[in-house]
Amino acid sequence: MKDGAKRHAVGQPAPLIDGIEKVTGRARYTADLDHGDALVGAILRSPVSHGRILRVDTSRAEALDGVMAVVTGDDCAVPYGVIPIAQNEYPLARDRLRYRGEPVAAVAAVDAKTARRALDLIVLEIEELPAVHTSDEARAPDAPRLHDNKPGNIEREVHHVFGNPADGFAQADLVREASFSCAEVNHAMMEPHAALAEYDPERDRLTFHSVTQVPFYVHLTLARCLEMDASRIRVIKPFVGGGFGARTETLNFEIITALLARKAGARVMMRLSREESFLTHRGRPQTDVHLKIGMTGKGRITAVEAEVTMAGGAYAGYGLVTILYAGALLHGIYDIANVRYDGWRVYTNTPPCGAMRGHGTVDVRHAFECLLDRMSRKLGLDPFEVRRANLLNAPLFTANGLMVNSYGLDECLDRVEKASNWHERKGRLGPGRGLGMACSHYVSGAAKPVHWTGEPHAVVSMKLDFDGGITVFTGASDIGQGSSTIVALATAEILSIGIERIRVVANDSAVTPKDNGSYSSRVTFMVGNAAIEAARAMREKLVAAAANKLEADPEDILCEAETFSVRGSAQSMLGFEEVALAALAAEGTINVKGTFSTPPEAQGGKHRGGAVGATMGFSYGAQVVEVEVDRDTGQVMVKKVWAALDCGYAINPLAVRGQIEGSVWMGMGQALSEETAYREGLQSHAGLLDYKVPTIVESPDIEVFIVESIDPNGPFGAKEAGEGALSGFPPALANAIADATGVDADFLPFTPDRLLEAMRKAEKARKREAAQ
Amino acid sequence: MTEYMPEFEHLVPASLDEALAVLAERPDSRVCAGGTDLLVNMRRGLVEAGTLVDLGMVDALRILKQDDTGLTIGAGVTLAALLKADLDWSQLNALREALAAVAGPTHREMATVGGNLCQDTRCLYYNQSEWWRRSNDYCLKYRGETCHVAPKGNRCRAAYCGDLAPALMVLGAEVSIAGPDGARRVGIGDLFAEDGADHLKLKAGEILVAVHLPRAEGRSTYGKIRQRGAIDFPLAGVAVSCRGRDDGLWFSLAVTGTNSCPVMVEMPAPMTRDDAADVFFRDMSRRVQKAVSPQRTTTVAPHFRRLSVSALAARLARGLAGVADP
Amino acid sequence: MSRIISVTINGRSYQDLVPDNMLLIDYLRERRHLTGAKQGCDGGECGACTVLVNGAPRLSCITLASSCDGVNIETIEGQARGGHLSPLQRAFHELLGAQCGYCTPGMIMAAEALLRRNPDPDDDQIRQALAGNICRCTGYGAIIRAVHAAALMMREDLAGAEVGR
Ligand SMILES: Cc1cc2nc3c(=O)[nH]c(=O)nc-3n(C[C@H](O)[C@H](O)[C@H](O)COP(=O)(O)OP(=O)(O)OC[C@H]3O[C@@H](n4cnc5c(N)ncnc54)[C@H](O)[C@@H]3O)c2cc1C
Ligand code: SF4
Ligand code: FES
Ligand code: FES
Repeated sequence: MKDGAKRHAVGQPAPLIDGIEKVTGRARYTADLDHGDALVGAILRSPVSHGRILRVDTSRAEALDGVMAVVTGDDCAVPYGVIPIAQNEYPLARDRLRYRGEPVAAVAAVDAKTARRALDLIVLEIEELPAVHTSDEARAPDAPRLHDNKPGNIEREVHHVFGNPADGFAQADLVREASFSCAEVNHAMMEPHAALAEYDPERDRLTFHSVTQVPFYVHLTLARCLEMDASRIRVIKPFVGGGFGARTETLNFEIITALLARKAGARVMMRLSREESFLTHRGRPQTDVHLKIGMTGKGRITAVEAEVTMAGGAYAGYGLVTILYAGALLHGIYDIANVRYDGWRVYTNTPPCGAMRGHGTVDVRHAFECLLDRMSRKLGLDPFEVRRANLLNAPLFTANGLMVNSYGLDECLDRVEKASNWHERKGRLGPGRGLGMACSHYVSGAAKPVHWTGEPHAVVSMKLDFDGGITVFTGASDIGQGSSTIVALATAEILSIGIERIRVVANDSAVTPKDNGSYSSRVTFMVGNAAIEAARAMREKLVAAAANKLEADPEDILCEAETFSVRGSAQSMLGFEEVALAALAAEGTINVKGTFSTPPEAQGGKHRGGAVGATMGFSYGAQVVEVEVDRDTGQVMVKKVWAALDCGYAINPLAVRGQIEGSVWMGMGQALSEETAYREGLQSHAGLLDYKVPTIVESPDIEVFIVESIDPNGPFGAKEAGEGALSGFPPALANAIADATGVDADFLPFTPDRLLEAMRKAEKARKREAAQ
Repeated sequence: MTEYMPEFEHLVPASLDEALAVLAERPDSRVCAGGTDLLVNMRRGLVEAGTLVDLGMVDALRILKQDDTGLTIGAGVTLAALLKADLDWSQLNALREALAAVAGPTHREMATVGGNLCQDTRCLYYNQSEWWRRSNDYCLKYRGETCHVAPKGNRCRAAYCGDLAPALMVLGAEVSIAGPDGARRVGIGDLFAEDGADHLKLKAGEILVAVHLPRAEGRSTYGKIRQRGAIDFPLAGVAVSCRGRDDGLWFSLAVTGTNSCPVMVEMPAPMTRDDAADVFFRDMSRRVQKAVSPQRTTTVAPHFRRLSVSALAARLARGLAGVADP
Repeated sequence: MSRIISVTINGRSYQDLVPDNMLLIDYLRERRHLTGAKQGCDGGECGACTVLVNGAPRLSCITLASSCDGVNIETIEGQARGGHLSPLQRAFHELLGAQCGYCTPGMIMAAEALLRRNPDPDDDQIRQALAGNICRCTGYGAIIRAVHAAALMMREDLAGAEVGR
């Protein structure tokens, strides 16, 4: 009996199955792939925020020695976009330029120097147009229009009312309103963008490697934009250095690389600089939230109104989903019957925004939890008690039709309240120091994907062959979150085998089943369930073979720790290899598969846009943050964080802890220092010196508590763990800062200049009041 | 595409004389020490140099000597080596704190004292890629016509952001310089000029050889305003020294990050026993506010840099004087 | 302009003709096919390219290959011994100090330099030594735990060897 087979595979801390490659440097990321003979791709980008293209003359670039292909907007007339009903972007601009940095032309050349020189030889004539860089500018009555079919520069308006907000406010003892402005942020995954495309003109075939989170979208988009038969395309995802949503949509440089490879009839390596990776963007939009909450004297929320405006950048991208999420996820965490939501997704002449960890919810949750805190103070209530007064009672459907089957928020609250010693320490830390708390939640996968085909959400196939090895095939994209490990663990658990016996083959469209990819925290829930189903099918075959050999009823076969025996009789025990060979003797190589689909009731309300936010289950989190604020310089130091997350069940507690720490910390980055800033549409943060990802020095100790509410539909009861904790951090920090300084700030991030200004203003106001 | 290095010839002279000779022969040459400033800028297309004169093999630049008269630090000594050096640091606290505050630990392994002093000035409109600057019509400092920070002015306002200079200034440092016309020695303040496009008073072909610190007296410290705990250049930084004499406590302050050169702020009179501490330090804070002129060279508001560094200066000075915060 | 450099990389000697303007990271990755060191930024801002030169950490993206004549270079690829993980590699693997793994080679090399000069660092010393290495996945907690665990492994190994003598 092998060591690994003795215990349960799930519920134990497990290192990643591809971790050894990562720590030895053997892991190959896209830029590491052999590209000795590949051409070098390079992109010419728009120098203006808004303009009409009068002429793109590439003749001199084409004539340069060593230039093998040049492409422009003329090479692709098919618009693309992640949402099938909102595709308004071209990989290379045609006619109009809408942001500084938008690709205009691209070259493939024998080396980087030639490619660079070729870009310099392209003549670009532009008629500059007036530009809008903020949502206010874009919504001004005389604003220039970015897209002719979008009056007022509104990509999508959402107006939802559930229950009766007016009645709700009438029942309230306290009604408060506040406005918040949250800066745009970027994923800043450590690996810059890259793609390697190889086109074989003899067979009309394209092989494509890229940093994507969703190879399936890349595959579809390449087929669409290159007008190729999808069967001629093969998409492979190598190791990926993080994504956080940046790589969910197919990105312009991916299509451009493929266009170049086809035109050159060759292999093209495209490596974007860090600046270009920032320009490609798809981050969380600058968001204004105006929020109004009604509350009884005991802290019960009676009604909520939220107005949300997002400056979404120049193209639709994920925009309509983001603005819908922002409203939908006002629900699903507290018991709120009366909610009005008005949202506007606005076009601006800046790089397109997209999905980013905590998609759609973070800024709205920030506003919500901050306002709850202010109201609790006003009412003299403890912020924990206010949350407890509004807990949900699962199972239920929320006012907007979201399904909630498991709910561990109460336990999360208990855990961080106790661990932080809240009641003893709150308000007693001395000047400049404070404690704050907040809650958050997130979906475990969209119950209805944006690219709806009716197919199952996830398919996992599994092979058993003569070597006794189990190979699992999945299209789920491991981008560092450990999805391949989850698939292996689920398989090991169901088959009662050691994880050493399992190999996971992932993300090669020629080999692995289609998967919807890594976004909206769907993988553990959906792919995990599909893996369980596949393993069960495999197990059935093995049990049948064992039963046959042991001359017993399959019902009576015990399958444990790589052995098969008849229940009650310990004598006749068969080893795994033995049974595998017997099963193979009957039918040869065994291939089985498992699938996962969401039931209709999970797919959200019937209202327009009701599918967004709908999920199989929500994760829930509560956090306490302790800060110290330097009153002279406005600098904020986070001393400690206590974070609890209900992830349903921790299939791999090691990875769950890593995800919680990582997402809390990413929330800290957004709250403290990260911000994408523009000067006339030019990014002023397009490097890792100016885009302030926290360093290890100011990153606090994060104490993690895993809460397991066991979701009835989750794989082993699991839900998501990788996003839910993020949105709790910024408001918990804001509330801690309020505790430390008495200042209720209405902005993110809390950079020292903003905070010092806010403290000075508050001080002046206090003095004015005292003087009166 | 990732930026690529322009072409140049890389020469590694073995002696100071050899280095000076190359500089004299080739007007398009640039000296390179740790490269943590220069090579970064070259990758961004900010420096054109036909020849890089690598000072890495010049032993004369690596002396480190402490004796009764003071401390001599060769320009080629790395920040990490200096931090680790077995010196009497008791009177050099500002220097040690400033050293530890530069960039990140790996930068400090590479970076030299000379390179730190001679580093380029910085600006939001300058420390950008070639594409970025071209899209913005370049600027006065390099290749362009106007300054985007102060369009009406006729000089570049890029900020000098070295951490070491202010510390060395309050410690009374001098620097020795070798050049085609021989060697000279000047007060460290005289190394700099208030012009973002031409902030170093080194003549063509000159090399900074060493920094000399007199035997220090009194206490000193350095404080830095930045957003993150490491890597970041100072939004503003201030060094303070305090010497007790018969007539009271004498303070010197020097500020970096706010102007195109480090700015010395002397307190004209000592703090005496008769002075009310609060009044004295409020005055100090005001003097710092007046002396500095931060511009819109970073994404962080100039006003903030002025306020925070003056408050920090007074707080550090209080600490040195042993006077509790108000 | 080009020059011939003699370098030792992970214990093996090489002589290579390199252009004067070639960066060490490109030499390692393109010429020696050692793709462990990563480019994470446009120069000097992230630490992903950290390797050891004569035992000290260096940013290979702002180091000229031609300045490396006669030096000893260590990269992540040379850390395992006989295919077995070094203590830091093992600790990063087992404690999830690497999620996406992109920062990991640089992070481990910076940590290796730390542990060689300080076999028992505290949290703050670890933070100071890794302050120039950015990780976007872990929040750094697991990295700090991994460095502690590796330090312990190394110290115990040492103690074991001493007892054996
Ligand atoms: C991400 C990042 C963060 C940074 N943060 C900081 C920071 O916080 N504080 C800070 O002070 N600096 C910072 N720096 C800048 C730089 O790392 C340091 O200033 C360093 O000390 C420069 O030293 P060097 O030896 O690498 O200089 P080099 O890059 O070699 O040279 C810098 C300049 O000085 C000239 N020079 C060098 N030596 C001499 C000499 N002996 N005589 C005449 N001229 C000479 C060069 O020609 C060049 O123009 C940072 C750099 C980076 C990339
Ligand atoms: S201060 Fe003005 S001239 Fe100087 S670098 Fe900045 S924009 Fe250019
Ligand atoms: S690659 Fe970022 S510092 Fe070298
Ligand atoms: S593990 Fe992904 S960047 Fe560190």
